[in-house]
Amino acid sequence: MLQVRDGAGETLGVLFDRYQTPLFNFYSKMTGDRALSEDLVQEVFLRILKYRQSYRPGTPFRAWVYQIARHARIDHFRKFPPQTALEPEMLPPVLPTDSVQEQQDVELLQRALQQLPEEKREILLLCRFQELKYEEIAALLGCELNTVRTRIHRALQDLRKAFHQLARGTMVKKAEAAAAENIPPRGRHEV
Amino acid sequence: MKCEHIAELLPDYLQGSLSPEQHHKVEAHLEQCADCSEEVVIWRKLSLLPVDQPGPASRARFEAMLQAYQAGRSNQPADDSHRRKPASAWNWNVLHWLRSPVGAMAWSAALLAIGVFAGLRLASPKPPSVDLAAVQSELASTKQLVVLSMLQQQSASARLEGVTWSTREQQLDPQVLSALLHTLRYDQSVDVRLAALDALSRHGRQPQVHKGVLDSLQHDQSPLVQVALIDLMLEWRDRDAAHRLQELEQTPNLNPTVRQRVEWAKSKLN
Repeated sequence: MLQVRDGAGETLGVLFDRYQTPLFNFYSKMTGDRALSEDLVQEVFLRILKYRQSYRPGTPFRAWVYQIARHARIDHFRKFPPQTALEPEMLPPVLPTDSVQEQQDVELLQRALQQLPEEKREILLLCRFQELKYEEIAALLGCELNTVRTRIHRALQDLRKAFHQLARGTMVKKAEAAAAENIPPRGRHEV
Repeated sequence: MKCEHIAELLPDYLQGSLSPEQHHKVEAHLEQCADCSEEVVIWRKLSLLPVDQPGPASRARFEAMLQAYQAGRSNQPADDSHRRKPASAWNWNVLHWLRSPVGAMAWSAALLAIGVFAGLRLASPKPPSVDLAAVQSELASTKQLVVLSMLQQQSASARLEGVTWSTREQQLDPQVLSALLHTLRYDQSVDVRLAALDALSRHGRQPQVHKGVLDSLQHDQSPLVQVALIDLMLEWRDRDAAHRLQELEQTPNLNPTVRQRVEWAKSKLN
């Protein structure tokens, strides 16, 4: 990173290879929009170039990158407030997994994550997927270490509730569909 | 152990950073508490979420952006802030001196003197409001003079400093605004032009600024500035945006990144 800071542009290519997938995942899980996530990843690297002088040697580079990444997303939504609610088809595709149950869990988890308030989704993504240490998250969000722990716990509680609510909804729908199949169409109208 | 106590330990338990004794306590609680143990299950299930891969064009876009950035920088005469330093050493030293503790004291003394002067004048029988207004406008115009003179410095860093100074004032004199517009249009340094654009973006409601800034889109050769201008045009919801984008698109040898941004902006307009 020091080389980038001092102007060696090609070193940025190495950083790009290392960080583009984690950053893309952060954005795609945060926004559920692949095209926007790709735009934001590019924006992050442009900002790294523009503001490289502000990186202080000796401080964790990863935290600095995520600082830029958070601001890039916030700035984007300030300029272009999201107009439509998240469409399910914008969510990343679910890859075929070993079991039907797992596949269903993944779908429910993705939907449950999207239902969380932004700051709760963000903190879960930062610690679970971006593998930032709690200390790094505290520095990033500008809060105490214990606050980070509390926020993670609350976010996880909310995720559990959202997940179960969705799971119940799916079970009810399945039961209704199964019941509907057993009732002849005319019979239902007469009732 | 109650759930509230576990709440403090659970995040560290999930990362495996508890002492063996605490770890054991949490495990004992999890065996009894369905809610807490479900949270652990959900946390583990999160690992099932697939890792999304960015599209194959992502790397190419990055390369184009990097080239555009480097092209933008190498268009600058070689350079500015370093080569011309000796010529502007005096100005630079003055700036440093103003920022040093001694300079700060001198500033404070000067401000105190202005305060005492203003106080004495206010206490005099003359109508006070006129004098106060005069002192305020004097101060404001002094600041603006500083900006104007800094924008004309040879060193890019000093000009950058001048632009930054201008952002400290809510209202800017038309003369300063037109100096900033001149900087945006003609400054050799991309960084200074970008900073000027940033400063001007706060004054977009003034028709003169709005037009001047967006007109520079046709003149600026740096992809970075062009992209920033396109973004600003969308932010300001410019009426002529579609027309301006079309004109820009017809520019020969337009940088691919800028062309992409134009297309993106057009899609936002529709």
